[in-house]
Amino acid sequence: MSLTARHLEAAGIPTVVLGCAKDIVESTAVPRFLFSDFPLGNSCGKPSDVEMQRAILGMALELLDSATATRTTVQTPFRWAEDAAWKRDFYRLDMTPEQIAKARAEMDNQKAILASKLSTG
Amino acid sequence: MTTIDAPAEFIEATLDLPIRYIDRSRAYYLSLGYDNPFRWPHNTDAPFARMAKPAREARIALISTAAPYQPDKGDQGAWAAYNADAKFTRVYSMPIDPAPDVRISHIGYDRKHTSAEDINTYFPLARMKEAAAAGRIGHLNERFFAVPTLRSQRLTIERDAPEIEALCREDRIDAALLVAT
Repeated sequence: MSLTARHLEAAGIPTVVLGCAKDIVESTAVPRFLFSDFPLGNSCGKPSDVEMQRAILGMALELLDSATATRTTVQTPFRWAEDAAWKRDFYRLDMTPEQIAKARAEMDNQKAILASKLSTG
Repeated sequence: MTTIDAPAEFIEATLDLPIRYIDRSRAYYLSLGYDNPFRWPHNTDAPFARMAKPAREARIALISTAAPYQPDKGDQGAWAAYNADAKFTRVYSMPIDPAPDVRISHIGYDRKHTSAEDINTYFPLARMKEAAAAGRIGHLNERFFAVPTLRSQRLTIERDAPEIEALCREDRIDAALLVAT
């Protein structure tokens, strides 16, 4: 999505990217990035928290209007949880050999599905 | 004072830092035995286009990576496992009325902490409609656009992003709001 933002911006169309993966978006380098320090999949706010979702959209629109330089990142003020324990869980490496084999087989399967889709258009 | 006693891969939890997804995904792929981890894009600069008019006067489009729900493509509901079969492979556009049913089961989001039960967490169309009704968005584009996630920088840069640009030009978009998932 960051690559698409860069393309549009180079074509003269201003963009704002909402996301949760700070390193990925900032490494790709986009003009305006609204970052929420939430688990991946919640770029626009927490489930069922309409007020938060409204506030995050408002910040995105504000960022569109206010950024004066490229690579402007703004972080939303919200927390996912009181502690940061959720940050331990994504892509954990402490797997048993059986878990590794299972994860590998599943990933091979998903890659094959994608390759098949791409080859058939 | 925080004691740093966690393994290195947990340092973000210990210090409450943003997760370093590039490092983590690379280590994870290597641990599964792949020798060619995904190469994330890296750029040292970024283009910048100024807003020709403020958002409250602009025609703004929502751009997403979500997929239309396809009943024959397996579980795409809350807490669904990663589902590559639900992926779409070409840029598409759809009207925003009636509100579309789009899902993210084909994307590698956080399966432990993210349910994807509320579309508004990844597809903020309802909030954007409210903003348009309140005058905060000048004009919400009558259709949204979607970009496939195919693990290919080449396809995104050479094929998909130009197609999105063409759609934006067709609709005379002034600015775009893109949601990364």
